[in-house]
Amino acid sequence: MRPPFRWREALGLREAGVYYALLLLLAVLAIAAAGAGRPGYLTAVNLSNIVYQASLVGIMGVAMTVMLITGAFDLSVASVAALAAAVLVGLAGSIGFVPAALAALATAAAVGLANGLVVQLVGINAFIVTLGSLTAVRGLVLILTDGRSLMVSDPRALAEMLAFESSRVAPFWPALLLAVILIVAGVLRRHPMAIGGVVLGGLALAAGRDFTVSAPVLYLVAFTALVWFVLGYTVIGRRLYAVGGNAEAARLSGINVHAYKIGAFLLSSLAAGFAGILFACRLGAINPTALQGSELTVIAAAILGGTSLFGGAGSVVKTVVGALLLFTLTNGFNVLNLGANYQGVVEGLVVIVAAAIYTVGGRRRARPRAVDPEPSAGPAAAPVALGGAAV
Amino acid sequence: MVSAPPLLSCEGVAKRFPNGTVALKGVDMTIRAGRVHGLLGANGAGKSTLIKILSGAHFASGGQLVWRGDAVRWRRPIDAKRAGVATIQQHVPLVPTLSVLENILLDTGGWWRRRRDERQRIAGLINRIGVGLDLDGSVGDLAIGERQMVAIVQALASGADLVVMDEPTASLAARERETVYRIVRQLARDESKAVLFVSHFLDEIVALTDEVTVLRDGRAALHAETASLDEAGLAAAIVGKEVVQLAREHRRPVAGTEVVAITRLSSPGRLAPTDLRLRAGEVIGLAGMLGAGRSELLHAIFGADPQAVGSVSIHGKPVGRTPEDAVRAGIALVPEDRVAQGYLPQMPLWQNVTLPQLASHSIWGLIPRPTDERARAAEAVDRLGIRAPDVDALVPELSGGNAQKVTIAKWLAAGTRLLLLDEPTAGIDVGARTDILRLVRALADDGLPVIMASSDYKELLAICDRILVLRDGEVVAERNADELDEAMLVLLTGGAPVPTPSVQPRPLP
Repeated sequence: MRPPFRWREALGLREAGVYYALLLLLAVLAIAAAGAGRPGYLTAVNLSNIVYQASLVGIMGVAMTVMLITGAFDLSVASVAALAAAVLVGLAGSIGFVPAALAALATAAAVGLANGLVVQLVGINAFIVTLGSLTAVRGLVLILTDGRSLMVSDPRALAEMLAFESSRVAPFWPALLLAVILIVAGVLRRHPMAIGGVVLGGLALAAGRDFTVSAPVLYLVAFTALVWFVLGYTVIGRRLYAVGGNAEAARLSGINVHAYKIGAFLLSSLAAGFAGILFACRLGAINPTALQGSELTVIAAAILGGTSLFGGAGSVVKTVVGALLLFTLTNGFNVLNLGANYQGVVEGLVVIVAAAIYTVGGRRRARPRAVDPEPSAGPAAAPVALGGAAV
Repeated sequence: MVSAPPLLSCEGVAKRFPNGTVALKGVDMTIRAGRVHGLLGANGAGKSTLIKILSGAHFASGGQLVWRGDAVRWRRPIDAKRAGVATIQQHVPLVPTLSVLENILLDTGGWWRRRRDERQRIAGLINRIGVGLDLDGSVGDLAIGERQMVAIVQALASGADLVVMDEPTASLAARERETVYRIVRQLARDESKAVLFVSHFLDEIVALTDEVTVLRDGRAALHAETASLDEAGLAAAIVGKEVVQLAREHRRPVAGTEVVAITRLSSPGRLAPTDLRLRAGEVIGLAGMLGAGRSELLHAIFGADPQAVGSVSIHGKPVGRTPEDAVRAGIALVPEDRVAQGYLPQMPLWQNVTLPQLASHSIWGLIPRPTDERARAAEAVDRLGIRAPDVDALVPELSGGNAQKVTIAKWLAAGTRLLLLDEPTAGIDVGARTDILRLVRALADDGLPVIMASSDYKELLAICDRILVLRDGEVVAERNADELDEAMLVLLTGGAPVPTPSVQPRPLP
């Protein structure tokens, strides 16, 4: 029953372009670094450093992808992350790390719920609502911090926070296990996830058993894997795509559209809250302009990953690769000492080129196979014969 | 009249798309000034492609167009427009935020947004053809019939000699259709324009046109003076063989058990309180003009109208008032607009088919089994005769009739207890229409109760047991189908005087 997998399509520029872009960029940077006399670009340490730097944006990007798949938009993620960080830093000294972190997540969830309810039940465009909450929530951060940098003074809470964020884990065995699972499942199902398994296994073997990564990298991987599974293999995932692809058709198929759309807002804000907690734990402090503007990086990562702004399509793995691409660019500028002035121009152009590739590729795919599809609407007549013998 | 010189001739016009699809294999057609030329054909016969070539949206890959005696090759729509061909698209492309006048003048050049001479010219034109349009009204506020008028005036204002109308009456109510007919006749007789009139409605082709071309499989299958034809002959030419009769058979009176009970179902401003009982295997038709409340009643039953109150119960068990509850209870709705409400454009056919009952194709109701889903979709493709390359096809790639079959296939599950169909045969070709009506009847014969709304009374009379007539959101008459004929239905829905006392609307139980 299973049809042959469309390898040509899956490995084409449109479907797999972001992977090629990342590989190409890494190759270029490695050669340039070697040429500039800075060897060791492609080391496990540097690469895992890139993933570490991309982890916060990656976590928010995964949730943003779900959001975009349902056809909505969330501009407030960076503000929500900063708010969660401020709540955590403000409370950690008095009530301890874990209760403060839960309070931070609850705050984030409340903002997400408010966004979702206003968008769905009042019917205001998500862009406008979250543009408003971007500003308003940033205002809350200013009120909470009184416009100054806030620090955790209690040494015990601070130690717990640092441990949560910067403890290092050896990923060798879990990564190898995951690689084997992906390869076996990929070969059995004739799915390109086998390639992902080979790459992951190769990286694990190359890095060696003593290699460690910091906790946020694991959080990113775990969250991505979870959402990837839910989107690709569960009823919930299918319905999320359906809600974004054609909300009215989904509603008339008996799907609770409001619940799924509001759920996406909730997930987006929770992910932002978690990213905010990691951010606060990294520094043990929060300044009121923290993370400002990163909502755009998050959206850029999703677009680089080929997520449609019109809903119904998108992949979380590619969003994470999109985030890695952006942070590899940043990292390359640092390593090659190119001066940050050019960075904005290059990053912006990369996003536009990616979007152009998806659009042109998408147009080619959309060309009709059937003759003259003629999607006509409205009533039309029956052949006379139908009623000829009527009554 | 035939002696009039040809305005436009198609000589072996062919179209082959770069992806290899051959839409037109060589069409000959001659259009003369002062005549209404009907163009007919099943979905996929090449009508749309031919119109696009005439309007300059596509160019022919073979053959040629001869316009006023000269071979022409239009590369862009503006070339055709300048030559004097105005095309009124089926989905009228107007700017809803601009006024009627601004829409009419949309394609005229010049610098100024308001010009008095243009205004007078258009006002004169509107007077001459006798349509009541407020020049300063916003197009967004107009009913669909009035938009059609705006498009017609727009075409005339550009001074076109050939007006191409692509199914101009498809979404219009009967009265609005009459206005379109009157204008078309006036254009041909009084203004001696040529009109190319595309339609699925055979009766209007027979009544309105002077000559007819029927396309089939990318060729002109028939060209004749309308006077020499009747509707049956046209239908035969469209499908290429004698139309299989789907005549009303003498159905035994439905004696099944009562399955559905609808009690005082109403929705403020849309639907007056309505009661309805359905027995197993009963097919109830909903007749009425556009906006009479047919879709509103179906949506209220399905729980898709949040304002609706009242109760619906199946086998005595009340159904909750949301679409989720309705689907769980086995109510199925095939909505009116399959593009906007029916299918998911990005999902393959098999995922569209299983969407409503996805949980039942899943492990623990959570993880779908694609193998299962594909088998179910393949079964539906077979049963409904859906013409698709495979179950992985995207629904927008299919023709209208096949896409409609997919939206019906969604509900062919064992758990369906009540089938609601809203204009299931709108805008699809004869073959698909026959398939769908046959399926409805077969489902009813197996005991499924069906409620079907349709603008096509012949269709309702052919397959329904009872027909409800709606007007202004209210059921105004209820009849057994065998007591009715088409003329009586037209009268009942239109609110015109009723011919005999026996068809006076009787009070509902």
